[in-house]
Amino acid sequence: MTDFATPVPPEIEQPRAPLAETTEMFLHNHAAVAGLIVLVLVVLAAIFGPSLYGVDPYEMVWAPFTPPGSEGYLLGTDYLGRDLLAGILAGARVSLTIGMAAAIMSVFIGITIGAVAGFFRGWVEEVLMRVTEFFQVLPTLLFSMVIVSLFGASLPVITVAIGLVSWTAVARITRAEFMRIRELEYVMAARASGAGNFKLIFRVVLPNALPPIIVQAALMVGTAILFEAGLSFLGLTDPNVVSWGQIIGSNRPYILDANYTVTLPGLAIFVTVLAISLVGDGLNDALNPRLRAR
Amino acid sequence: MTPPLLSVKDLTVRFKVRGAAPFREAAYLTAVDGVTFDVARGESLGIVGESGSGKSTTALAIARLITHHSGEVRLDGEDLLALKGGDLRRARRKFQFIFQDPYSSLNPRRRAAEIVTEPLASIGLVPKGDRRKLVDDLFEAVGLRPEQQNLFPHQFSGGQRQRIGIARALAPNPALVICDEAVSALDVAVQAQILNLLRRLQRERGLTYLFISHDLGVVQHMCDRIAVMYMGKIVEFADRLSLFNSPLHPYTCALLSAVPSVDPDRRARTKRILITGEPPSPTSPPPGCRFASRCPVAEPRCKTEPPPLREVREGHRVACHLVGDDARAPV
Repeated sequence: MTDFATPVPPEIEQPRAPLAETTEMFLHNHAAVAGLIVLVLVVLAAIFGPSLYGVDPYEMVWAPFTPPGSEGYLLGTDYLGRDLLAGILAGARVSLTIGMAAAIMSVFIGITIGAVAGFFRGWVEEVLMRVTEFFQVLPTLLFSMVIVSLFGASLPVITVAIGLVSWTAVARITRAEFMRIRELEYVMAARASGAGNFKLIFRVVLPNALPPIIVQAALMVGTAILFEAGLSFLGLTDPNVVSWGQIIGSNRPYILDANYTVTLPGLAIFVTVLAISLVGDGLNDALNPRLRAR
Repeated sequence: MTPPLLSVKDLTVRFKVRGAAPFREAAYLTAVDGVTFDVARGESLGIVGESGSGKSTTALAIARLITHHSGEVRLDGEDLLALKGGDLRRARRKFQFIFQDPYSSLNPRRRAAEIVTEPLASIGLVPKGDRRKLVDDLFEAVGLRPEQQNLFPHQFSGGQRQRIGIARALAPNPALVICDEAVSALDVAVQAQILNLLRRLQRERGLTYLFISHDLGVVQHMCDRIAVMYMGKIVEFADRLSLFNSPLHPYTCALLSAVPSVDPDRRARTKRILITGEPPSPTSPPPGCRFASRCPVAEPRCKTEPPPLREVREGHRVACHLVGDDARAPV
């Protein structure tokens, strides 16, 4: 007689959150991981750099236009003899903060407008999309310059000015996703289950619409940093707060004598925005289920 | 006679046709045109018809998932079409819906247990602490293992997903369950399992089904009475035996003759009736009988005069000029 072993119950596949798959997908993308590492370094430098380095970025510490490396000043001094490295470290804080705050603001406005337009359709959508188009066709730089010159060049005003001109992309993406998802049966099923519009929008549709919005938000931090740099370069910034764009702008007249005073903070902007873009692209691939199947 | 659980009267649903030229009168497509029927407590009523006949639209309108144009739908005496906002959401516990596509009808970001308790959470019926036990019971009732409660929808097969959809519909303990093509997305072996599950649940819980399907075999297996729809109207309405044994409307006869059979006697008995041509445009339906253009026995008056739905035999109603009081099929 053959001895039949008791059948082993098949092992249940452990619940794998979609998040785990996304993380794995992201880690396979080397460029994105490199971007993430650079970004983390920049953020760490912004948080701890100024106190570790310990040089006041507003203090005149040595003769103006000391080239990098000489007299113990790693990146040299600017036209007022201020330490450039200290300036870049302190500027990182301002640039990153403005970038993130403006991105959060534009995501908030964009999601609200896009979700309401895409979910309710009809005349609500018509009105909201015409408003969105109005903001889209405004010359963004001019519009934010107007806001800054009207309300004064302080960091909150600059953040609001950047946020106000950059939410339209988020609104359009959110609306498109909502229009697609609201037709799916699980939304109808949730309605049949007694979910109200508020719950349908925020608990059912929005979580499923988030991936492309997250990507857009990540990329928006980069554009907001560039935008802030642009405004600062034009002098539309708080002259008492050092930021990357402000360093470039204030040293601009001396670009021929001491090009490093402009190049180095420019390089900081370039590296940071590039890192953010790489992370954003990596997120895009990792969050896109159609690419995941490959 | 006890009052019916669900009573639908003159239900009409129409859609605005998009893409019409500006400054022209908007065109409407009447998908459901004055449909009237009753469903008794504990029975299964089937609605069959081809694609575009308005059977799913009828189901969605009764469930208040799309906007109706006119009519009356009473569930247990309560006029569903008059309910709004919070009243409608609270009333939803009495009628639940099982969807056709087991893939798109489950939220991919929720775990199975969360999906099943969604009606309870939305209507606020059962306090959070007591839901655990209820989910256990529902999972057992639909034949899922308790350890599958924390899985995501993509980790289930089609049949299992449909079981989750059924458990979700049963969660608020509804009186009426509307099954919109509940098995047509599944393969045949799984279809049989799900149909038997639905029948067992009906017995155990005293459910009433409104069963929408294009599959006559499924309807024959599931339903006590059957309505046949063509282009938004009910053309024939009868109990299962009369409909399958002595269909009266030419359209029903044609449908039944198209059902393949393995029984050689039955094959020999039934003569195939072929319908030619296309259904008329749904935006401008013909004035008379809507089947007249394809009907093999149509007379001139069929093209001008719409036939009323009238009772020709006890419980057997048909909308055809050619069916006389002797209740004999014209074909």
